[in-house]
Amino acid sequence: MSESIMIEFPSKYEYLNLINIICGEIADDMELEPSVADKVAISVIEACTNALEHGNKASPEKSIRIVINRHPDKIVVNVYDRGDGFDYKEYMEHIPDPSNIHETRGRGIFIMKEMMDNLSFELVKDRGMKVTLEKRLNGSVKK
Amino acid sequence: MMKYKTRENSGIVIVELSGRLMGGPDSAKFRNLIYDLLEKGKKNIVIDLGKVSWVNSVGVGILISGYTTMRKHQGDLKLLNVSSKIKSLLYVTKLNLIFESFEDETEVIKSYSEN
Repeated sequence: MSESIMIEFPSKYEYLNLINIICGEIADDMELEPSVADKVAISVIEACTNALEHGNKASPEKSIRIVINRHPDKIVVNVYDRGDGFDYKEYMEHIPDPSNIHETRGRGIFIMKEMMDNLSFELVKDRGMKVTLEKRLNGSVKK
Repeated sequence: MMKYKTRENSGIVIVELSGRLMGGPDSAKFRNLIYDLLEKGKKNIVIDLGKVSWVNSVGVGILISGYTTMRKHQGDLKLLNVSSKIKSLLYVTKLNLIFESFEDETEVIKSYSEN
């Protein structure tokens, strides 16, 4: 059986910690292995950080929507902002080196790509950018 | 919101961070702290992350910025009490190869005397 949970919140940094707590609770409920739970939570926070800073330009009037879809074999999270999107195809082909110590920014997408099984972007008309994070759970649920 | 307390152990400044390190106002707060320490001639510091609930990639960038600033001034910035979540971020970005990280305060202080 699949279930969906939707959360919508203003673009404010203080809410990112709340999202972290919610991800932790859902991971506990799904009995995910701690390392998998960490990867999901880290990636959701990264997607929300990008939505807040780049999509919504840190404007609290613009909301971020998260839809968490729980499936027996995977967890799929959609993060929506209110921005105009970006050229993700170009970006994905030239992801900056995350170990470059002279860059203080630009590691979020690399982290999501490494930690998730699938990462995709879509510009949704009249809404904004939609990021989809998918993590398969084969063998990663606590025994 | 990031909070911090500073103290000294054997001439090394220990910065105890707490809360979250996620960008926004945290970036300027951390940068100001680093430059305040440099003005006081404190170039070798330890960032204790034991009470930090969360760091995202922006927070990692803040730490990297502190590290490069200290190195430019012939100092160093080392990490103490790094949680598993923060370790995951450092490993995936390969920044674990940049930061020296310790579990024990005595060991990190000792490492400075060995340099």
